[in-house]
Amino acid sequence: MKTVIKTTDLTKIYNSSVAPVKAVDKVNLEFGEGEFTAIVGPSGSGKTTFLNLIGGLDKPTEGHVMIDDTDISNMKESKLFDFRLRNIGFVFQSYNLIPVLTAKENVSFIMLLQKESKAKMEKRAVEMLEQVGLSEKVDVRPSKLSGGQQQRVAVARALASKPKFVLADEPTANLDTESAFNLLDIMSRLNKEENITLIFSTHDQRVINRARRVITLVDGAVSKDETFDR
Amino acid sequence: MKLLTTLAWRNLWRNKRRTLITISSVLFAVFLAIMFLSMEQGSYERMIDSMVKYSTGYIQIQDVLYDDEPSIDNTMVFDEDIELLLNRYDEEISYYVPRLQNFVLVATENTTRGSMLIGIYPEKEKKLNDMTDDIVEGTYLEPGDDGLLIAEGLANILNAGLGDTLVLLGQGFHGTTAAGLYPITGIVDLKVPEINNNTIYMSLEAAQWFYAADERLTAIIVMPENPKRTNQLAGKISDEIDSEWYNVLTWEEMLEDLLKLMKFDMAGTMVLMIILYIVIAFGLFGTILMMMLERKREFALLFSLGMKRSKLAAICFMESVFITIIGVISGIIVSIPVVAYFYHNPIVLAGDMAEAIGEYGFEPILPFSADPSVFYNQALIVLVLSILIGLYPVYKVFKMRIMDVKS
Repeated sequence: MKTVIKTTDLTKIYNSSVAPVKAVDKVNLEFGEGEFTAIVGPSGSGKTTFLNLIGGLDKPTEGHVMIDDTDISNMKESKLFDFRLRNIGFVFQSYNLIPVLTAKENVSFIMLLQKESKAKMEKRAVEMLEQVGLSEKVDVRPSKLSGGQQQRVAVARALASKPKFVLADEPTANLDTESAFNLLDIMSRLNKEENITLIFSTHDQRVINRARRVITLVDGAVSKDETFDR
Repeated sequence: MKLLTTLAWRNLWRNKRRTLITISSVLFAVFLAIMFLSMEQGSYERMIDSMVKYSTGYIQIQDVLYDDEPSIDNTMVFDEDIELLLNRYDEEISYYVPRLQNFVLVATENTTRGSMLIGIYPEKEKKLNDMTDDIVEGTYLEPGDDGLLIAEGLANILNAGLGDTLVLLGQGFHGTTAAGLYPITGIVDLKVPEINNNTIYMSLEAAQWFYAADERLTAIIVMPENPKRTNQLAGKISDEIDSEWYNVLTWEEMLEDLLKLMKFDMAGTMVLMIILYIVIAFGLFGTILMMMLERKREFALLFSLGMKRSKLAAICFMESVFITIIGVISGIIVSIPVVAYFYHNPIVLAGDMAEAIGEYGFEPILPFSADPSVFYNQALIVLVLSILIGLYPVYKVFKMRIMDVKS
């Protein structure tokens, strides 16, 4: 299996006014193509910080993040924006969609930034919305969608531009059980069909039960790395 | 670009009420600013127009000594060279009017007063200031007429009426005494009190005879085809005329004191304008600041998705410019009919206010200017203001750290 992400001694220290806080502590991990991984751990264990680091949203204090053969740890900001645009999909817990754009426009957004042709962009956006079961909501704005539907649009957007991997930070935290299962079904299916690497940070047992690999962080360090045949 | 414009435009309407309030404040301020400026500029235009029409004209050719010492002895002869010179610029000159004028004592049985006696070519002068419409009593002058056309204000001061005879006494050319009895054949309302209280017209031939200044003129008034090109035309004439004998002056040079007064008056209006602009600026800044603060996490999302800072900054910048443009255009649209109404129907002042203004030598009315500059100057000033305010979110976006706004 081809390695998509590799971290080497990845460390992030926040210089708090009281005392420095080691949010991520010398993490060495590899993620292969098509993996479905859940990063778990108690609050404050460094899950979100780890995701921010491998997503290029934050800079490590020490160590490296390699995406394919590219080291993004010391990449210039302007290049990093472009790198994220072309390689990484994001699904957040909330504030996931641009409120003034319709579902289709939200899904097309990244492709629009990538300067894809209008025809290709629209076709792919409609196709992705169909895949997440929202073909009826193409022209609806986020405020008219339920929380679960909004997250599905976010998933469609994250996958529409076919990124190397998708980072999902507690995507089911605000969803009811039915919506959460629905979202996970969709993500599992797309993970298999499109062979896209999915990395979740989560507390949610429903997500953990679906993941084929579960990494447990405690105090910023890897305490367990388990794989399951699901 | 379309994406950025769409986002900026739709962002404006996320909080319709706030956006509409901000637009209304811009609209109101622009409307008020236009009203103030239109009124002030209108008064200035009227004043200048009256002074140019009744007094100076746009350009005057005088004897080289006349401007420093306006005496009948420093008059000029309208010779062939000047005529040829003026004919050369025929396309740029609408017409020219010769005048001979000097101060005289004018007396009736009981009253004596110093006044300006102006000798004119009645037909040519009519082109400059069509006084026939302003004749209150009697008739306008005819060429070679021996009668006087007296300004209504002066007639009232002298308590003289149509058909009365006035005694004129002054200094003629080269120290001769100029004296004569002349009947009033017409009374004219000259509008500007300063002129209306001090002016008498007679035909040029009669004036030259009265002053013993045969063939002589105090000035030739030159009216350009395009008054906006007055300075250029005056420059050309000045370059070609014999500067040893003649002087070419524009109305701005002749009415220097009036222009200074206007500039001083304008400074007061500018203070008022600055207060208005500050109100606009704070209103706009408040809205832009709120729009930024409430969208911090959205900015983090856009950064995460790969939107570059420059693009996000452009969106924020456009939002501020859009609000201003809508406010400015609405302000202009609302003010056009109001300005148009007052342009055609100037506010006429009455009572003490009219008297007070009259004492300064101005007409007691508030005319409005419909000059396009009144409108586009406001648009430009407010737009520049919004650009300056729009730079704040641009600065913030470039300084923003993703992790600070994401959490």
